[in-house]
Amino acid sequence: MKWITNDIASFIQERKYIDTALVPLLPVTFGSGVRQSAAMNEFISIISDELERQFKGRMLLVPPFTYLETEDIHQRKERLLEWAAEMKKEGTAHIIYITADSEWKKAEQSLGDLLVWMPLVPLENMDMEYKRQVVSEQIKQLIPLIMEKWKMDT
Amino acid sequence: MVSEKDHNVSRRQFLTYTLTGVGGFMAAGMILPMARFAIDPVLQAGAAGDMTAVADVSDLTEQPQRFDFSYEQKDAWYTSEVTETAWIYQEGDEIVALSPTCTHLGCTVNWDANEDYPDQFFCPCHGGRFEKDGKNIEGTPPTEPLHKYEVEVQDGTVYLGKAEPQI
Repeated sequence: MKWITNDIASFIQERKYIDTALVPLLPVTFGSGVRQSAAMNEFISIISDELERQFKGRMLLVPPFTYLETEDIHQRKERLLEWAAEMKKEGTAHIIYITADSEWKKAEQSLGDLLVWMPLVPLENMDMEYKRQVVSEQIKQLIPLIMEKWKMDT
Repeated sequence: MVSEKDHNVSRRQFLTYTLTGVGGFMAAGMILPMARFAIDPVLQAGAAGDMTAVADVSDLTEQPQRFDFSYEQKDAWYTSEVTETAWIYQEGDEIVALSPTCTHLGCTVNWDANEDYPDQFFCPCHGGRFEKDGKNIEGTPPTEPLHKYEVEVQDGTVYLGKAEPQI
């Protein structure tokens, strides 16, 4: 389900089935890394949209968690855990974080949920057909990972 | 002076002819656009329509295979490229194209994806299952069969239209 009124209506209705939140983690900078930041945004949006399409009936794609690249890793982790606590309180059983920012690997242990780190693929130079192939190949690798998480948590 | 009777076309006849001619053109000018409007849907259907080329017939097997295709969709203020998937198989002369959207809550189902349930469509979200022809298996969450695409074959290419419910 997407974060749009149409989907949220079915989310409210079928809440017991939609027990997973997908949270994209996106760094923002206005300095020299701005190109990289944009590329991550583009890539992670495409991947999370595709994942949402695959797992529409069990996954809610929430608005991305954004942070300044300069923000300290501990501080942003604390903020993220606040999001997680709120979602868990409202009955979300599983949370999946998806990012291209390798900084998060340092905090992976203390997040307690599934962190999917994907190395950034420069999609901007690919033609449509090739882009689709690359993305669908990545998605294929992610599906068992997510199903495994569901199995483990129950 | 020459009498009127010697003319090939009398004054009265000439006037009748011209008036009929001009009147005819005016009537045609009014009626033709109306007729065009009336039969417009018929002319539209004759065109290629909203079918999308998806696969070659020679690529099809008896096992359902996954084919992705995309088309442009205009939604309010932006045009976006929509990607859709179809599971297509051929049985005898019949080509069947099923939508991968689980009829429970809309996840994407996969063919033969779970070892416990070979030769079935399996939904990874809540374990919904479907037979090869899309029929939902009782005891699993979905309540209706997978939707079926409209199929058309032209010159060895499979074109798909809209996915429609089977019941």
